[in-house]
Amino acid sequence: MTREHRIGTFTLAAWTALVVLFLLLPLFVIVAFSFNDSDFPSFPMRGLTLKWYWRFLESEELLTALWNSALVAFATMILATTFGTLAAIGLARSGARTQKFMRPLLSTPMMTPRLVVGIALLNMFNLLSMQLSLLTVIVGHTVVAVPYVILVVTARLVGLDPRIEEAATDLGATRTRVIIDILLPLLRPAVLGSALIAFTLSFDEVVVTFFTTGTENTLPTTIWAMLRYGITPEINAVSTLTMIATVVLALGAEAMIRSGGVHRR
Amino acid sequence: MRIGRNSIVPILTPATAWFGLFFALPIAAMVVVSFWMVENYKLVPTFTLTNYAKLAQPLYLSIIARTFAIATIVTILAALIGYPVAYYLAQRLKRLRIFVLTLIVLPLWTSYLVRSFAWMLVLGTSGALNWFLQGIGVTDEPVRWFLYSEFAVIVALVHIYLPFFILPVFAVLDKLDHRLLEASTDLGAGPWTTFWTITLPLSRPGISTGCLLVFIPAAGSYVSPELLGGPSVLMIGSVIAQQFGLVFEFAFGSALALTLMMGILIVALGLLRIGMVQGLK
Repeated sequence: MTREHRIGTFTLAAWTALVVLFLLLPLFVIVAFSFNDSDFPSFPMRGLTLKWYWRFLESEELLTALWNSALVAFATMILATTFGTLAAIGLARSGARTQKFMRPLLSTPMMTPRLVVGIALLNMFNLLSMQLSLLTVIVGHTVVAVPYVILVVTARLVGLDPRIEEAATDLGATRTRVIIDILLPLLRPAVLGSALIAFTLSFDEVVVTFFTTGTENTLPTTIWAMLRYGITPEINAVSTLTMIATVVLALGAEAMIRSGGVHRR
Repeated sequence: MRIGRNSIVPILTPATAWFGLFFALPIAAMVVVSFWMVENYKLVPTFTLTNYAKLAQPLYLSIIARTFAIATIVTILAALIGYPVAYYLAQRLKRLRIFVLTLIVLPLWTSYLVRSFAWMLVLGTSGALNWFLQGIGVTDEPVRWFLYSEFAVIVALVHIYLPFFILPVFAVLDKLDHRLLEASTDLGAGPWTTFWTITLPLSRPGISTGCLLVFIPAAGSYVSPELLGGPSVLMIGSVIAQQFGLVFEFAFGSALALTLMMGILIVALGLLRIGMVQGLK
């Protein structure tokens, strides 16, 4: 190690630390203000309080929104995980030409701004005179989530030993049996991980929801509407709670996706 | 082994059908509607180019230009800020690597709405940054242009999409063949020469993917500019949303959205071209 090398490493480490602070500090500000005993979120902070959390628990509007969010996220999770997992298996086992065409095609929703996904659906529902509701929200969220599921499950499929399937087929298993008895158990960590990703993706989504919902609101669209009238401290409490919920799910998803790597034969 | 062709079709069907019905079809409908017109808040099927002609008005041209300028600045900043981080994680950090990566990915799991909102608390006149600057005596009065400005929008967008740049670059640098770097050093190249001639060119695929993943959502962003930009920093996303929300101009809104998509597509194809690395494999 030369001296120059060590100075370089130190500079890079310091820079990385700064970037991590930049990424995390704003989120801590929200958490801090959620306990701040003041109607207006301004520094310096006043005393500690839990009243904004109580406000949230007493608010009919916010609790309904929370219920709607959970409902939509759950439905999106089931649909997106099913479609995405099947598609990932189908893609991995189809010919090179099908793959070359289908893979980029099925990932385009990921490469499209959420706003465009939302208004394109709104436009179509409008042309068909369809009633907007939580169902149409679920439709939109599933479009957004499926490519992520395909991505995660594909990553796991690539690492699987093809001989396991060959052995099963040689021993007389039908194609359906191979998928149900061999592939799905092997893919379980990735499938569960991607399910959690789909859930959080839906739970956090605001733009697609905003344009595809009827009269019902989810938690993000309620926060969005509240922010239009200015910052109220309840928003900090609600944001903190959703952050905690999604981060717990995220760590679970990561642990799950990683856990499948080593053992399991 | 291949599972036979006829069994592929059924399991690919649900995703493909959903994609066709609720993504491809709506986009196609938007293309059609962008040539229609709106009378008395109702869409009238016809063929007109007026929606696209309207785009040529200076007002809309300036909004489109601002949108792509902001997205470009955000992408460049994310690249400059994120590359050293990805390099450090992939090449220098061993033990804490997973931990630091988790910290970088963690904000991705919180909603972009919450992250935009966080910057309102940080950048406002009584926000964290002004409080800090006044505390250490850099300024006596709160700085007003922090919030409701292009500055605020750019800072928030960099914050929201930076991990999307770091991850693909990290993935490429992590797989970099160390023998190439050693060979370069053995042949007498200094660390900078090695970096400029070996490491940087080989990280091009990661850089181009990263830029793509930042540029696309930044150009199409709606929530951040609405919350942090104030009335003077209008980006195309807000104008599109207005056409569909407030003024029922679905035809013009569709034309705007397609213009955004075309712009993004051109930039994306350019970036993908840059990302192709010839030779050296």
